[in-house]
Amino acid sequence: MVTTLDIIFSLLLGGLLFMSIINSNSVVSENSTIINGQMSVQQMLVSTAQIVEGEFRNMGMGVDESELVVISAYDTAIAFRCDLDRNGTIDTISYWLGPTSELSQTQNEYDRFIHRRVNKGGVQSIGIVTRFNLKYFSQNELDTLTPPVSYSDLSMIKIVEITMEVQTSHGLYRDPRDVKMNERNAVFPSSFWRQTRLASQNLKR
Amino acid sequence: MIGKGAIIFVLGFGVVLSIMGYRLHTLENQAITNMTYYSDVTTSHNLATAGANTALSILYQDSTRRGVITSQTITSGIFSGGSFTATVDSVSSTKLRLSSISLYKNKYRDTVEVYLDKTKLNYFSMYAWMTNFEGNVFWFTGDTVWGRIHSNGNLHMYGRPVFMEKVTTAKLINPKPGVGTNKAIFKKGYETGVAPIPLPTDLSELNNAAISGGRKYTGNIWITLSAGTSANNDGKVYIRSSESGPIIDSISLSDPTFNGALLATGTVYVKGVVDGRLTIASQTNISIIDDVIYEKNPLITTSDDMLGLVANNNVIVADNTANRSNCEIHASIFARLGSFYAENYSTRPISGWLKIVGGIIQDTRGAVGTFANNVLKTGFLKRYYFDERLSNSNDRPPFFPGFYSQTLNISGWWESVRIPEY
Repeated sequence: MVTTLDIIFSLLLGGLLFMSIINSNSVVSENSTIINGQMSVQQMLVSTAQIVEGEFRNMGMGVDESELVVISAYDTAIAFRCDLDRNGTIDTISYWLGPTSELSQTQNEYDRFIHRRVNKGGVQSIGIVTRFNLKYFSQNELDTLTPPVSYSDLSMIKIVEITMEVQTSHGLYRDPRDVKMNERNAVFPSSFWRQTRLASQNLKR
Repeated sequence: MIGKGAIIFVLGFGVVLSIMGYRLHTLENQAITNMTYYSDVTTSHNLATAGANTALSILYQDSTRRGVITSQTITSGIFSGGSFTATVDSVSSTKLRLSSISLYKNKYRDTVEVYLDKTKLNYFSMYAWMTNFEGNVFWFTGDTVWGRIHSNGNLHMYGRPVFMEKVTTAKLINPKPGVGTNKAIFKKGYETGVAPIPLPTDLSELNNAAISGGRKYTGNIWITLSAGTSANNDGKVYIRSSESGPIIDSISLSDPTFNGALLATGTVYVKGVVDGRLTIASQTNISIIDDVIYEKNPLITTSDDMLGLVANNNVIVADNTANRSNCEIHASIFARLGSFYAENYSTRPISGWLKIVGGIIQDTRGAVGTFANNVLKTGFLKRYYFDERLSNSNDRPPFFPGFYSQTLNISGWWESVRIPEY
């Protein structure tokens, strides 16, 4: 009788432990996916930010004071001039946010490329973001220059604010019962970066 | 048997959970590493920038320094664990390069290079407006200036004047831009506290040019400028020793032996149409007795006409019948010790528009009219347009005064772009 009870309790205990393992495995997998996702978006964001920030800092390098540095300024696109490789030739560098249709195959419907082009060269995609916003300020910051900045105001641009957000391309599905109205049906780990006042020294000459 | 199995079972369970925990911990650590990496490379970059600024400060105190001019290791504060070395070398006879290289945590390096022009010859004609002293005159709502502005004194602003090109002053803008009543709009920015640009101590360059290859006259002269035919650069300059006297000399602006410099020791009275390039100078004053305009107005069409009016003292818009119903002057005007002003500006009748196509460079800001409650009472209303051709540093009226910049001008600033590690 005692042996039978031992076996029953052992089975119960073993079952509980087994269920705990299965549950903890599920929790660990979920967290692992989220943390992995966060890590990968951080890496993507840092990489993209380094390129964008680095080149924006050099805008106007080698450009004569009397000439225009920023030649077009939109909220998601910019073109500026600088001597990129310091060879005495002024280059035109363009950055712009591509359409979502370029990345329609990913699960994240907000994914877009940031494109970069030097002069008339080929278009390079330097990163995938879900947000890329630019704001422009004059020297005394009296007015935020509303994009698209008109041609006559382009020379007023002295400071640029850059905002980027990166999310994972593939999300973690949520239980449909937890999804409220206007909420996404999956969790996309994201990372946000903002350079609030990027002022190229060449614009301050 | 079952007891041993249970122990193995529990131990195995513990091992599995430990592995899971370790993996999670590692992942979290990697996420933190990403953030610290970005923080470290930003610090390294800031360190290089700090090095460049430190070196610039040293260089501005002693512009003869070359080689390593500062090398510092930081042991406390936010840059602790970092160092920078800044060197200066010559890139060419007119250009210097300052390089600041940082090293942070013995791992991250960044470079900032600053290019400096040693000396740069500029001409005063590049300014739409320049003064030594502004007096207590304000730039006001409604004023719009095309072309560069500089003053060696304080610039006063009220309301929203608009400056289309860069504004510089050796002193201050009062009030500070964006503060109080100063809502001025600086389309290409402003800079205060720049090195003063002294006006020349004499007009010797023009005097020498007038003697060798130009024309020099003693006493007062009256000049009538004539456009000649419709062809370009065939204008004539007629010189008289009195207003209605006989012509004592004439110059063809197409004459290749004439270098474009004309100077008198007395007052020069001038009017007419310019067709060619010429600088009229006086060792005393220049009096504008009627319109002085280009055959081809550069605001309307392509023009190669260019005139400089250079006086050792004042350039004056004469109070006469011709100038009491508008006056138009196409020239870069220079008054070394005095002002550009309208004669009897506070008593003459309302004289219409004073339109200038060129620039005004003067010691002290002069007046051309008076206002009461924003209504013109005497003299002129102003319409000053900059001749954009003069913004080209290689283009000026013949022998128009120039200056060398006194400090090292930053002509370029380059910062290394880090290639992402991922």
